[in-house]
Amino acid sequence: MTEATPVAQKKPPTTMAAKKRQEAIAGYLFMAPALVIFLVFLIVPIAAAAYLSLTNWNGITPVFDEEAFSFVGLDNYSDLLRGYHTNEAGEVVKATTRQKDFFIALKNTTYYVLGVVPTQTILALILAVILNQRWLKAKGFFRTAFYFPSITSSVVISIIFMWMFTRGGLVNTTVQAILPNYESNNFVSWLDDPRGIIHILLEQFGVTRMTVGDWASNRVFGNTLWEWISGPSITMSTIMILNTWTTIGTMMVIFLASLQNIPGSVYEAAAIDGANAWQILRRITVPLLRPTTFFVVTLGLIGCFQVFDQVYVISSGGPAKTTYTIAYMVYLNGFDRSAMGLAAATAILLFAIIFTFTLLQRFIVKERANV
Amino acid sequence: MATAQPLPAPVDAERRSPLAVALTALSWTVLILFAALEIFPFVFTVANSFKCLPAVQTYPRSIIPVPPFGVECTYQDGERAGASRSPSETSGAATFNPTLEGYREILDANLPRWLVNTGFFAVAVTILRLAFDSLAGYALARLKFPGNRLLFFTILGTMMVPPIVLLIPRFIILKQFSMLNTYQGLIVPLAVDAFGIFLMKQFFESIPGEIEEAALVDGANRFVLFWRVVLPMATPALTALAIFSFQGTWNDFLMPLLILSGNKDLWTLPLGLSFLRGAYGETLRWHAFLAGSVITTLPLALIFFYFQRYFVEGISYSGLKG
Amino acid sequence: MRKVHLLTMLVVLALVISGASAALARQQVTITLMGWSSSTAENDALMTQVDAFMAANSGIKVNVNLVPEYDPTIQAAFASGDPPNVFYVDSSRLPDWAEAGVLASGEGKIENLDEHYESLLEAFTYNGTLYCPPKDFSIMALQYNKDMFDAAGLDYPTPDWTWEDLRAAAEALTGTDAEGRTVLGLVTPPNFERWLPFLYQAGGSVLNEDWTEVTLDSDEAREALEFYVGMARDGIAGPPSKVDAGWGGEAFGQRRVAMAMEGNWVIKYLLDQFPDLNWGVTELPRHPSGGQATMVFTVCYGVAADNDYPEESWKLANFLTGPEGSTMVAEEGFGVIPPAKSAAEVWLQAISEEYGAGFLAGAPYAHKWQFPVGFGEVFDTFNAGLQLAFDGQALPEDVIVDTAAVAEEVLAR
Repeated sequence: MTEATPVAQKKPPTTMAAKKRQEAIAGYLFMAPALVIFLVFLIVPIAAAAYLSLTNWNGITPVFDEEAFSFVGLDNYSDLLRGYHTNEAGEVVKATTRQKDFFIALKNTTYYVLGVVPTQTILALILAVILNQRWLKAKGFFRTAFYFPSITSSVVISIIFMWMFTRGGLVNTTVQAILPNYESNNFVSWLDDPRGIIHILLEQFGVTRMTVGDWASNRVFGNTLWEWISGPSITMSTIMILNTWTTIGTMMVIFLASLQNIPGSVYEAAAIDGANAWQILRRITVPLLRPTTFFVVTLGLIGCFQVFDQVYVISSGGPAKTTYTIAYMVYLNGFDRSAMGLAAATAILLFAIIFTFTLLQRFIVKERANV
Repeated sequence: MATAQPLPAPVDAERRSPLAVALTALSWTVLILFAALEIFPFVFTVANSFKCLPAVQTYPRSIIPVPPFGVECTYQDGERAGASRSPSETSGAATFNPTLEGYREILDANLPRWLVNTGFFAVAVTILRLAFDSLAGYALARLKFPGNRLLFFTILGTMMVPPIVLLIPRFIILKQFSMLNTYQGLIVPLAVDAFGIFLMKQFFESIPGEIEEAALVDGANRFVLFWRVVLPMATPALTALAIFSFQGTWNDFLMPLLILSGNKDLWTLPLGLSFLRGAYGETLRWHAFLAGSVITTLPLALIFFYFQRYFVEGISYSGLKG
Repeated sequence: MRKVHLLTMLVVLALVISGASAALARQQVTITLMGWSSSTAENDALMTQVDAFMAANSGIKVNVNLVPEYDPTIQAAFASGDPPNVFYVDSSRLPDWAEAGVLASGEGKIENLDEHYESLLEAFTYNGTLYCPPKDFSIMALQYNKDMFDAAGLDYPTPDWTWEDLRAAAEALTGTDAEGRTVLGLVTPPNFERWLPFLYQAGGSVLNEDWTEVTLDSDEAREALEFYVGMARDGIAGPPSKVDAGWGGEAFGQRRVAMAMEGNWVIKYLLDQFPDLNWGVTELPRHPSGGQATMVFTVCYGVAADNDYPEESWKLANFLTGPEGSTMVAEEGFGVIPPAKSAAEVWLQAISEEYGAGFLAGAPYAHKWQFPVGFGEVFDTFNAGLQLAFDGQALPEDVIVDTAAVAEEVLAR
């Protein structure tokens, strides 16, 4: 060691400035491999996508060709957000479907995120708290069991799920075995039912499109207010169940680890003070887990907003566009509708949305922490 | 069990109230229920992977294997030789005669080669990530240099762009470097990942800095310090990172497809398996597909079961300081 | 049997590899053929074809590259300026790729023109240019469950059935099976292309001849859609999910519908997975006025515009689609029909008259599945509307009007 590091050994840097410089150089050197790879394989492609979002590239013509694309400014964004753009001649070019589809996708994705993120977080927490009990046997077995779906590739999982959720499939017949009133001719078509669950709920109270009043027919971003409040469709809900089911294990493991980091003395002190199990959970466990919760929720938000695989394999956006998600629209525009410029614009908008939500979430968690 | 009965209770059950007993029972119920829900589909996967194709379609729910084992799925001789046997001959509502047809089919389809490729690919990516992610995570956590915060948020931000839109730009870059249809092309872009850097940064921030400072005063250089002192302390976090990386790359599909499709010798498991699905899903060879899924999942399950102890310790350091 | 086949393939492959290294000195040309992967047997058959081609043309080596998820893969290859020399082109993607300039024109290059069905060549003609020789095709026809027809005492469908006959039969065949589950007369997938035959039979159209105007909003379209949706509303037909299936062929195989309107891809599927099913096939029914129509889904071998070896590429494409090449595939009797008329006859023998004839009969009057670039938005709008219409949440009339409006918008872009 003495020979290996003659420079460092000579003497420690004397001035603060020299020390700082040395640390900075070390920092950049440590970061170098990561930076180079990120730059080449992530930052450059992202910059390219941002640039292409300002063009009308079809995604097919070789990108380095002279006439591969032309610069269209913010037209793609305008199509998505306003439903039209103005061409060079000053004429308005309509794109109502593009706008409508984008906001349908935004609506579906938002319902998806609002449904999945809290559910998976809470369920994972409950499982972790139970698994953390000292009396529990066979922890390794349960951990592996809960983690199992995370191990399998999402394509395989989706296909198995489709098979279970077909109308005459395992899920419906199992429910029937438990509830004999659930007749096979009234089975829910899990994979092919466009009705929104909020609409279904409202219908139970006699509220339908016809009775709700004229306000519901007002259009906001190309869709009627009635459509906006549909809630996720039955099929989207099925995909939500699937995703919760597969990610719950990962989230649980993260919580579990964090729980094990809480010193036992904290609980003992509380128990001596006469706190019951619920109070301990509410006043000690949950607050101490706040940093982990933030981490889990952040990962959940990023993952859920980008939901694609399951939609691609299970529903291809159907039925009746109720499983269009933004990431699926990126695929559809880029690889099915020969509009890669539009796909890139959609992706950039998704980035902006996730970024906003993450900041918002961070803000909320901080606020709560200060109370 | 009633409280009035003064049982010779075990030491740690001294203060068991009826409520506690009920809670324990409830906990067990929840655990077992969820474990069943999570494992359930795999029971059916395994059962159906041992059936003949028509039986998968007609009797997907039978899960009890009964003799004769190793039945043939086609008529061997007679008038209908070569045709598929009717499902009721090999399966019933609850039981079925296992066959290795699906496994045979997938072994014929070059599965061993895919397995080796996938293993190599996953191990290579994992090793590189362990090195590069921890270096970067350490720098972001400990070393002060201009742009530190900005770099961190940029790295986080890259997770928020849907990867599907980056497919073609990445492909073009790889082509410029002549890395298509090579292992390098698949491995190098994945050698670092934002999640891993995030994880390692959180870990390094959570361990006390005194040891390093002492070593620094002794005159060790930064890299030697990192290698000899810091990394050994990071074993749990590295284990977690290793499992996440291994699992992610093991199942990766889209990038291998684009990068390796031109060279059959390099195909990975998910890539090879997807071929069994055929072009329109209509030609799906269910039994072989499920057999492939079993073979894909099994190694990961074993690895996880083996490492899960370390895993749990490692991940705990990723807790964010809100 | 497959094992032996695979073994010979491996031997051939080994020979090819060793042969290739020896031939390097002799200045061999290597071209790439890209397509999507089908069943193992079909992939093997293509390899046999290609081997025969290489044996006949010693100066050309062909790299065959069959992939799943074809669209993103080949699109990346196009975009990076490094396309394969020869590749599959689905007739529905032809406009996109022709517009993008990645397809070489086939005018004067394609041989055996008179060997091919007119409707197929038309499917690969865009803006007056013929681009590529057809590889294979599938035609929609009517499949019926013989046992169910027998049980109901009905005569089997014939090619001169009209919509009324179809409806009446569907009504008579709707009921419940031994386990009390609903059995529908007919499966009607909620897809534009499955409804199009009815539109064409009624004499309607989506666009005018030269694709400059939307003609969808018509009485014929209303009639066709009301018929299609009407059967579902009356409970005698419905989408596959209604009878617990993922697609029409599955519903038919599981005996949950008495009739289906799938293409010839369904033959192999039914024989493999539902060997007990007793079924027959005939042409799609006609409009009461006699209008006859069906859809053809077809694929061709395109040649890249940016190509170092155009000569060799065309040679390969012509070989694979010519009488000799296509007969090799025809003999195997796969689900898809080989392109050359003479080969189609061979195919019919291989797959059996009983199952094949009903499909093949539609070839002369089939319509191509092809629309202008960006029409995905139109299909999705229609499919979404159709789905709601099946549930009674939308009127067929409105679906037509909405779809036509979107088509106008896309066309104006």
